[in-house]
Amino acid sequence: MSDRSRTSVCAIGAVLLMGWLPVSPAGAARQVPRTAADDAPVVADFLTRVNAYVVIHLQAERAAPKLPQEATPKQIDQTQRAMADRIQAARAGAKRGDIFTPEMTAVIKRILIEVLAGPAGARRRSSIMDDNVKFVPLTANQRYPDDVALTTMPPGLLKALPELPEEMEYRFIGPHLILFDQHAHIIPDFVPNALAGK
Amino acid sequence: MSIHRVLAASSLVLLLAACTPAIVPQSGPAAVVSPRTRAEPPMPLPNREGSLKFAAMGDSGNASQGQYQLATQMAKTHQAFPFELVLMSGDNLIGSERPQDYAEKFERPYQLLLDAKVLFFAALGNHDDRNQRYYKQFNMEGQRYYSFKAPRQNVRFFALESTYPEPTQIEWLERQLKESTDDWKVVFVHHPLYSSGGRHGSDIMLRKTLEPLFIRYNVSVVFAGHDHFYERIKPQMGIAHFVLGSGGRLSAGDIDARSPLTARGFDADQTFLVAEVFDDQMHFNAISRTGQIVDSGLIVRRQPPAAPAP
Repeated sequence: MSDRSRTSVCAIGAVLLMGWLPVSPAGAARQVPRTAADDAPVVADFLTRVNAYVVIHLQAERAAPKLPQEATPKQIDQTQRAMADRIQAARAGAKRGDIFTPEMTAVIKRILIEVLAGPAGARRRSSIMDDNVKFVPLTANQRYPDDVALTTMPPGLLKALPELPEEMEYRFIGPHLILFDQHAHIIPDFVPNALAGK
Repeated sequence: MSIHRVLAASSLVLLLAACTPAIVPQSGPAAVVSPRTRAEPPMPLPNREGSLKFAAMGDSGNASQGQYQLATQMAKTHQAFPFELVLMSGDNLIGSERPQDYAEKFERPYQLLLDAKVLFFAALGNHDDRNQRYYKQFNMEGQRYYSFKAPRQNVRFFALESTYPEPTQIEWLERQLKESTDDWKVVFVHHPLYSSGGRHGSDIMLRKTLEPLFIRYNVSVVFAGHDHFYERIKPQMGIAHFVLGSGGRLSAGDIDARSPLTARGFDADQTFLVAEVFDDQMHFNAISRTGQIVDSGLIVRRQPPAAPAP
């Protein structure tokens, strides 16, 4: 298990623990704004789902031809596609929402609204839209489109989103926030129209 | 006559000029960038035997005419000033990254330099696929961040992946910087800690993370990209910072003219930088697609703090 994966597992433990902390019924009745602690169980569940995907990823990686440290572009491409084929086969029934559950989708959208608000937020949004495409229809478990550039992910946004294992990244394709398996070039799941707000 | 014409007319001669140090090396805790104004003539690169000669650029891989023409200019410069390595500060392949893209966005434009056995060392930018770290010609040996010792002079380069400055990477960097006994510690990274770009600008969060380490462990120079122009920043905390994001892309007019950070900015054309390290000095020239020297100067390396008297 990589350091990053270990960190994620520890993070899951921590947020699960936070999730068990008692919540004030009075606070809930007054409809106070949700806090990170409120979202902790949802985030923990999300990271569990991400890690379940990473297990499939690692199995595919072990089965794929080993990439030398000094590879040619053709070798990189072949390894990537071999991994993608195995992952897509292992997740043949995957659908949108398997990883970004409706609850996690709501958390993500809340984070985005917060991080993209105000002048700093406007700058981040502009940064995301730099080189972003307008709209591309997506399905879960598809290959990342070859002709779409990887978008900018502002550090302020990445800091606000749950940290992912080393194998995974967040990116945008048009208004959709995607999970990106950067070794296999697979989109395991995505939040549709995440940039559109609520 | 415009400054650009003056610079263009003198650039070739000056590149080949014999060494005439313009500034006496200085000692002290801070790197010093020679005070230059736009009206001064370019400073020649000494081009002396035994020095470390290298080039640096960023945001190159878009297969544009600008990238190809700048690459041609790099090859021309290499004939007069034989740099042996090129630092790439990220966005090495922009857009699709199929095998044919590696050819179109890297191998073909830099073919002459690759044929001349010039080594390229890449850092990953926000548009780069992490699989690039396995690509032989980027010399990353499968690592997202790495360091290497220069073949000449006492110089160590550190390549960072600034899109994800996670704790593991920062701990690695601190260990590497601490253990390095090299005179020159030079960092290349995609996101600029300081930039006057209207489009992106300074990455404050990254600065808060990295700058304390750079100061503590005596980094002298930082090369970045991301903003698509050339900018030399006024020394910050004794460290020289460059934005070199116009290796292929160009955001014409993007430098904020009111920025207090700029020592010299050039956003009218694609640009790369050549530099030469000998002992405690680094001479540099920033050269445009058309061969103009748009900036030049001398950096004196930072010195480690003196040991306390017994």
